[in-house]
Amino acid sequence: MRDRIHVATTDQPLDTAAALEFCSAPGHGAADLFIGRVRDINQGKSVLGVSYDLHETLCRNVFRELAEETAARWGSEIRLWLVHRHGRLDVGEASVVAAASSRHRDEAFKACRHLVEEMKHRAPIWKQEHYTDGDSEWVQGHALCSHG
Amino acid sequence: MNDASIAPGTREFQIRLFGGFRQFRPESMLALELDDASTVADLRKHIARVFDDDANALSLLKASAFATDTRVLDEDETVPADADLALLPPVCGG
Repeated sequence: MRDRIHVATTDQPLDTAAALEFCSAPGHGAADLFIGRVRDINQGKSVLGVSYDLHETLCRNVFRELAEETAARWGSEIRLWLVHRHGRLDVGEASVVAAASSRHRDEAFKACRHLVEEMKHRAPIWKQEHYTDGDSEWVQGHALCSHG
Repeated sequence: MNDASIAPGTREFQIRLFGGFRQFRPESMLALELDDASTVADLRKHIARVFDDDANALSLLKASAFATDTRVLDEDETVPADADLALLPPVCGG
């Protein structure tokens, strides 16, 4: 299964063409690509850019776990790509690329969405937004703990 | 680590800080001495004392998890002796 999964973190611009090249096979009639980008407005505040912070080792381990879970659910033939960027990004730059390919579109759509949604809730990644008024703020997120 | 300076039955831990915790400790690291048998809950209490004068840090700590490089730790388990520890505030990738 591992050769059908690619997960990584990087401080370099993300490569969507590489994601689609990886997520292809002669028997795969569907490929789904998701790109998460920095947007210019969040909760009414004008955003200049976002600094992404992540725990690299744990992040890659969580990505791998998510991808293996996804493959177990939507078929071991599925091919999966999940790469997240870190460092300072400007508005419009891609922060995450996820891709999935499979025999039919239903599995590719669902698997790609599952990867992205679970990544947002479980991967150790944080973002600090930088605003046009000079302020910066760490964005609130999803707690990983379940203690009282 | 200087073992000679650590009390018997205790260990020194270094905890990496991420996300919002970086604003409270620009060096992004905490060093603590804990009993060998300390649990993650004990570790949390210890760090709460470090941030005692900062309500924002305490609030973030309450919502945060502890982890090694491979997994998030349960509150009632013993702090792993040789693992690299991290304090993880609520996450928001993407």
